[in-house]
Amino acid sequence: MNVTKLVETLGLDVVSGPFEREIAGVYVGDLLSNVMAKAERDNLWITIQGHQNVVAVASLTEVAAVIVVEDFELEEVAIERAQERQVNILRTPLTAYELVKKLINLGI
Amino acid sequence: MRELALHILDIAQNSIAAAASLVTISIDEQPGRDLLRIEVADNGRGIPPEELAQITDPFFTSRTTRDVGLGLPLFAQAAERAEGKFEVKSVPGRGTEVTATLRYSHIDRAPLGDLTGTLLGIIVPNPELDLIYTHYYKQKSFLLGTGEIKSTLGRIAISHPEVVSWLRDFIQAGLDDLYGGE
Ligand SMILES: Nc1ncnc2c1ncn2[C@@H]1O[C@H](COP(=O)(O)OP(=O)(O)O)[C@@H](O)[C@H]1O
Ligand SMILES: [Mg+2]
Repeated sequence: MNVTKLVETLGLDVVSGPFEREIAGVYVGDLLSNVMAKAERDNLWITIQGHQNVVAVASLTEVAAVIVVEDFELEEVAIERAQERQVNILRTPLTAYELVKKLINLGI
Repeated sequence: MRELALHILDIAQNSIAAAASLVTISIDEQPGRDLLRIEVADNGRGIPPEELAQITDPFFTSRTTRDVGLGLPLFAQAAERAEGKFEVKSVPGRGTEVTATLRYSHIDRAPLGDLTGTLLGIIVPNPELDLIYTHYYKQKSFLLGTGEIKSTLGRIAISHPEVVSWLRDFIQAGLDDLYGGE
């Protein structure tokens, strides 16, 4: 599945993007150094963080999109940086657990 | 990073990359005043004033292999998360001082973690470097200066396995004593 289709299917807010990316796999985590080590290219990365460091980690790991759950706020500078770098940032009021259940049902 | 010790290692690696010959690490743990202060200072090449303003920007780095530099931004964020302050002072040609002051009891403050591993991780691969480590816990203190150890060792390298093993025990005993009985 690609990011645009996912946004439509789950009704996610688009904070930055959508930039065309195929999705393969999911990683959930908030500790950025750990995400750097574990997230893989084309993953969906689920986090509650809205810090601009998230954008840097997303760009470094080349994840397909970041999904910020529980409607956590994103810093303005994070949004600008994400748009500049073409990093997809999506948002939802769901918790990570609720979102992951939906992703599993979609076969991701 | 899951431990503050890993941030300290990373920040000291910036000092080494900046050609420092002396790195001073000071930790001050004052639970009574709800303060944890960590300072890493060096005598390396320093940071030009125009770059200093961007230092906690994750998209600033002088690396050429990638375009993000996360060492300082992640340490700054670890401090912010614990209602703390983060400051970098630098004088080009003189050196750099990175200070994080965290709220000791804050629920999101990372633990200090494996300080022995961090110190050995700095000392062993950089035998030329002088490291001064000061660690206060309440009124007690632990001090380690590799300059003095190296002059005692004479021609034996500080990275010699037997020396490293002694150092590990020495640091571990020093830290255990610092927290003695707690
Ligand atoms: N102690 C230091 N002395 C001189 N320059 C430094 C020091 N610490 C950081 N810098 C500069 O700041 C930049 C960003 O550092 P950092 O956030 O740790 O990311 P990285 O080390 O990955 O570049 C470095 O590339 C370097 O130019
Ligand atoms: Mg660094």
